[in-house]
Parts: sequence; structure tokens; C-alpha cells
Amino acid sequence: MNLALTVNGQAWSGEVEPRLSLADLLRERLRLTGTHLGCEQGPCGACTVLLDDEAVRSCLLLAVQADGHAVTTAEGVDLDLGPVFQCGFCRPGFTVTAEALRRAGLPASEEALSGNICRCTGYGPIVDAVRRCLT
Amino acid sequence: MPYLADVELPAEALEVAFVRSPFAHAAFGAIPDAVAFSAWPRPQPGRARYAGEPVALCWAATRAEAEDAAEAAEVEWEPLEPAAPTTFFERTFDSGGVDELLAGAARVFEGEFTAARQTPLPLEARGVIAWPRDGRIELWTSTQVPHVVREHVAQTLGIEEDLIRVRVPEVGGGFGLKAHVFAEEVALAAAARATGRVLRWVEDRTENLLASAHAHDTTVGLRLGVDAEGRFLAVDAEASADVGAYSLHPFTASLEPATCAQTLFAPYAVRALRWRARALSSHRCPVGAYRGVGMDAAVHATERLVDEVAAGLGIDPLELRLRNAHPVVPVTTAGGRALDSGDYPRLLRDLAERAGYEQLLRERAEARAQGRWFGIGIGFFNEHSGTGRSDYRRRGVTTIPGVDAARIQVTEGGRLVISTSAAEAGQGHAATYRRLAARELGVLPELVDVVEGDTDVAPFGSGTFASRGAVGVTEAVVRCLRRVAAADLAPGTDVVETVDATQIYPAGAHLAVAEVDPVSLVARVTRYVAVEDVGTILEPELVDAQVRGGVAMGIGDVLLSEHVYSEDGQLRTATLLDYLVPLASDVPPVEIHHIESPSPHTTLGSKGVGEAGTVGAFGAVSNAVADAVRSQGAKLTRLPYSPARIYEALGEKKMAPPRG
Repeated sequence: MNLALTVNGQAWSGEVEPRLSLADLLRERLRLTGTHLGCEQGPCGACTVLLDDEAVRSCLLLAVQADGHAVTTAEGVDLDLGPVFQCGFCRPGFTVTAEALRRAGLPASEEALSGNICRCTGYGPIVDAVRRCLT
Repeated sequence: MPYLADVELPAEALEVAFVRSPFAHAAFGAIPDAVAFSAWPRPQPGRARYAGEPVALCWAATRAEAEDAAEAAEVEWEPLEPAAPTTFFERTFDSGGVDELLAGAARVFEGEFTAARQTPLPLEARGVIAWPRDGRIELWTSTQVPHVVREHVAQTLGIEEDLIRVRVPEVGGGFGLKAHVFAEEVALAAAARATGRVLRWVEDRTENLLASAHAHDTTVGLRLGVDAEGRFLAVDAEASADVGAYSLHPFTASLEPATCAQTLFAPYAVRALRWRARALSSHRCPVGAYRGVGMDAAVHATERLVDEVAAGLGIDPLELRLRNAHPVVPVTTAGGRALDSGDYPRLLRDLAERAGYEQLLRERAEARAQGRWFGIGIGFFNEHSGTGRSDYRRRGVTTIPGVDAARIQVTEGGRLVISTSAAEAGQGHAATYRRLAARELGVLPELVDVVEGDTDVAPFGSGTFASRGAVGVTEAVVRCLRRVAAADLAPGTDVVETVDATQIYPAGAHLAVAEVDPVSLVARVTRYVAVEDVGTILEPELVDAQVRGGVAMGIGDVLLSEHVYSEDGQLRTATLLDYLVPLASDVPPVEIHHIESPSPHTTLGSKGVGEAGTVGAFGAVSNAVADAVRSQGAKLTRLPYSPARIYEALGEKKMAPPRG
């Protein structure tokens, strides 16, 4: 199928298989490997990107569902949560979630950040970092 | 460094998908259109022993096409009846005197406590790239044990170790999972050698939950004799682990039950101890290492029983622990553990002071008067870290190198290159070594390069597990740094140190406050205080990061995480919607305090800190939840302490009106 979208402000169009996920389009075709895949089942949030201004799981969205939309990945977000991570695999997901909160004018909270799994930090330092970035 | 799935590959690289057994036990015939990896040694070829076991691999230009091929592979499966459990491992220990002391005890308390089947679940799953280059295989793998992988893959393929170069990319968490060598690593190396093609396999989460390594699944039976003052006299214990279908390399099936049995009641001055530890097979995913390993099950069982004793005798749980903690360390326990340093009563007294224990007891009384299910729990523990070669050999384990090593080179340009046998997964090794170099040599940290995870460069050693970073690895780095200092940092200096570390026993006392909702039966941890003795602290922020993350993991392990199989051996928890881990809203702030008693076994006195948080939480969180529902007549013994388990434990009382 033909697909046209913008990614981090740049227009992209091309032929894709209908079954291609948005995450695989970003990672394998566009080589934007900042979007991480942690579960491909929805819960972990590592693959979070913005579809227009909304945080979505790029692993659960088909690439063709993004047709005509603006996609923003961690590479396109100007927010630095700083050295609060350990392994860092969850960082892009938290960064994009923080950007979604910023755009919506919502404050950081444990609940607002409960859509992203981190196995290393115990969350406290990440929640504090998002709070710092949003105030 | 990129993560494994982000490593740039040549355009002709192929993606691999595995054909996996749909049955818990089955025979299978030849598999056309797929390469059955004959290189992997099987006791009986053509037999799968758990659902999800990889039996063959397929490759294609994309992962989706490789999965299509794996799905289309026509495998003639012949489902089989389950085999009777095999005893993979059994060991007993007897200090002597247990029967006499139990017979003379004022009371004997008994209990059976179960640690659930869980899994380490690093956020990045496993992955392997096998890249033929210059007659060798460059094996990129997301591992904690690069040299162990090289050795085992080469041995399995029957080739010289020199023909394999293991390279470790950025690792998105390990927690013990990536300290094993897996069939997939061997299979990709074998297939790449056979085809000359670059092959990549990136594990998906379903595969990871189904068929990487599980953990725990250990039941501990305890009998504890106490005197009239509540002093612990003797312990008779049985630890039995369902370790799944295979004994994993390199730790073997002995890991979980042996670690568990050795840890039981180790912080307490019991006079006699007897245990039997067993590993039994089943048609389930193999059990391996996960942060704390058998220490988690041991501390859960020990600390839960201690609280049952306190309740039974009407003694405050903190007072009972103070009465029974080793009054003086160093001491050799009844179980033969040579505790090297520490002040156990002080750990408990500091915990009481930091947590405001008396005030908490008043808060609990007020909360309960309002009908709230409010609990306080203490987890008092010691653990072992940094296990060395000699210790492993004494236990009969020959598959783990046990040594840790470092190499330091001074370049002509005056830079320092530190390489070690460890493998980083976010703990902060590089920052630690740089600051050690600055402290020991006065060099600027930015003049230090750190290399880990490349078997062509790094010295041979164990890797990263068993909290060995601040034990053997740091010891090797410090010894090298001092030799470089003695050489006056002369360019061209090149030193290697290999350390066979003596096992060390960090200790700690944790306290959790929990509240159980009387309607939903959901338990929440509302406050957490940890007092740790991990010896001399090298990097305060990194140490606290390990403790905080470890506690969060332990909270999830006690309240949420459990793998469940159906009667016919199918995993029912193969997604993160079913297998639960803690989220930001599940973890309270963790208040961390330290006492520092330097270990005599390391030059700097550090003891290792990778697992302490998790081990302590198994005691503190489980006791807090158990305390919250004890007032309702429920006794919790089987992890996780989920709403379903609390509902079961409430029995008759569960239909009572929720509020009073």
C-alpha cells in the first residue's frame, strides 16, 4: 500500500506491506532506532511515539494507520531527562510520554507515567526528572 | 554503543525465527525447509520437553517472512505423556544436634512457604547476531557473560575458542537472565558457520516469557525450635525447586535450591541447622538466575516464619530479631557461612530509628481502629556476593570460571585503557573505574577509556552476576591501578590481574509499610526504608540506584509477578498483560541508609550491591502484607501476595462485610 506521512517534521512516502507495524517502519525502513521494542504487546511503552500530539504504541499501530499524520519519535523530541536511567532501554518511551504531557499541559505524576515500564530504576528518579522537565 | 537490534548490518543479512514446540512433551520427525540445529547437543534428538522449546530455525530477508517460514514448517509432532520428574540435584547439610534441640524446645513452629515461578524480564529481551568475518564468527549477543558464551559455544560446536569472538552491544537490562548461554546463541553461530551469512535473531516478548529462563518456583518447608524466651535453637529445612526441563549452562539446576538452602536463617544465631535441597525437573521452561536467586525464596521463608513466631509468642517482631541476630560478626554460622564483617544488631536498631518504628506502631493501631488493613513488615537478611572460583569448585560447580579479571594499558599518548571481564548493563561500571583511576592515580577521568564485552580485548573471567562488580572485578581493577602507579604510569605499561574472590556476606534490614484494600484486596506498599551494609561505598549514587531498583523489583515479585501453566503444560502468562511487573504507581519512594563495615576480603572493603534491594524486599514486603491481613485471620505463605492469594487466605472471612 502507498503511505505518506511526516516523521519528525520530514515528509516520507513509499510502498509498505499492509502488515508492517509503525514501529518496524520507523526502525527498519527509516532506521530511526531510537524507538525501542520491549514487548510488541502494548503494556511496556518503550515504543511510544506521538501521532500528531497523542502518545501511541508504535508496535500496535500499523504503518498505514499513520497515513496523513505527523509522527514524532524520541529523536524528534527536544527533552532531555538526564542521567537518571540505568540500562536506558526505556528512555525513548519515557521521553516521548513526557513530551505528550508537555503538549497537553498535564503535570508529571506516578499515574501519568504508569504506561511505561522500567526494570532498573524503581521509577522515582525518572518521575522526578520528568517533573523537572515540565516545570 | 547500539543495542543489539540497532547494530548496523550489511544489506544481505538475514533474519531468524525459531520453530518452537507447541507441546509440553513431544517427539518430532524431520523438519523440511528449516535447519534443525543438529549442533545443539540433546540427550535424545527429536524430543521437545517444554512448550516453547526451540527445535529449528528459519531465515528470510525480514523477520515477518522468517516467522511465516517457521509457521509453515511442517513438523510431525507426536505428543507424549509427561515424564516423571527427574532429580537433577540433591544435597543435604547437617550441623548435628537438630533433633535434640527440637525435642527440648519450648515450642516448635512449622511452615511451608513458596516463591512463585517468575522471570527476570529485562526490558530488552535477548538477541544474537552471528557474523562470519575472516574465517571466524563474530557473535554479538546481549549477554552478561561474554567469555562463558565464547567457551560454551565453541565447545558445543567442537571448534577452537579462537574462532569465536563474542561482542556485547549496549545491554537493555540483564538481572541474571543474560548470565546463561542459550540454545539460540549456539544455533545462530552454527547456522552462520554453515551458510557464511550474517544472521540476526531478536527475541520477542512472547518468546522471552515462554522460553528464555524462569526463576524461583521454590517451596521451603521449615521447622524452627525456640526456647521460652523466643531464642532460635534449631532449624530443620527442606528446599525444593521445580527447575523445568533442562539444567541451564553455566549455573546448572543446583543454583536455585542450593542458594536457597544455604541462605536460610543465616543472619540468626541458631545453634543447629539441617537442610535438604532438591532440584526436580518438569515440562516447563528451565529455571536460572534472577536477581537474588534462591536467596529471595530463603529470605521470604525465613522472615515470614520469624514473624509467625513473633505473633505466636506475642513478642514484637523487631525485638525477636534483635534477640536472635548474630550479636557479633565475624562469625561462622551453624550452616557454615563465614560472615566476614558487620554489626547486625545495629542494622536493626538503625532501621527502627530511621523508620520511626514506635510511631509506626501507633499509626498502625490508629489505622486498624478505623478498620483499615494496615501492616508493618521487616526483612532482615544477609546474602552472598562475588562467589569465586574456589567456592564454586568446592560446591562441585565446574562450569563457571569464577575468576574476575582486569587489564590496564597506558598508551603512548598517555591515556589509560581499562578492560575487565565484566559486562555492563547500566550499573555504571565505566564511571566507577574512571573515578577509581582518578582516586588511585590522580589522572583525569576523561583520560580513561573503558572496554568491556569484547572477548578479543577483555581479559578472561566470569562476567557480571552474583553482585561481583564491587568484589572481584573492582579488586582486579584496583590491583592493576596500583601496579600502574608503581610503574609511574609509564607509556607502554600493560598489566593484567586475575582474582579468585572470597565470598562476601553483605547484610541489611528493610522495613515496609503496606495497606490492603478490604474490597479489592489489592496490597500497596506505602513506605519503604532500607538500611544496608554493603561495605565501603565506592559510588554513593550508583549504590543507591542499585538498592532502589532492586527494591522495586522485589515489590513486584512479592505482590504481582507469577508465571502460571495450564494442566497440560501451556504457559498462560506469555504477555505483559498477564505477567505483571511494577509500574511507577506501584513503587513508593525508597528511603536508603547505610552502615559501612568494610569487608576484610577486598582491598577497598566493598561487598557488592546488585541484589541486596531485591533480597530484602522479599522479607519486608511479604511481612507487611501478611501483617495487614493477619488481623483478619489470614495467613499468607504463597507468593505472590496478590488479591487472589489474599482472597484464598481469608477463607470463611472473605464474605464478611469489608468495613467494621
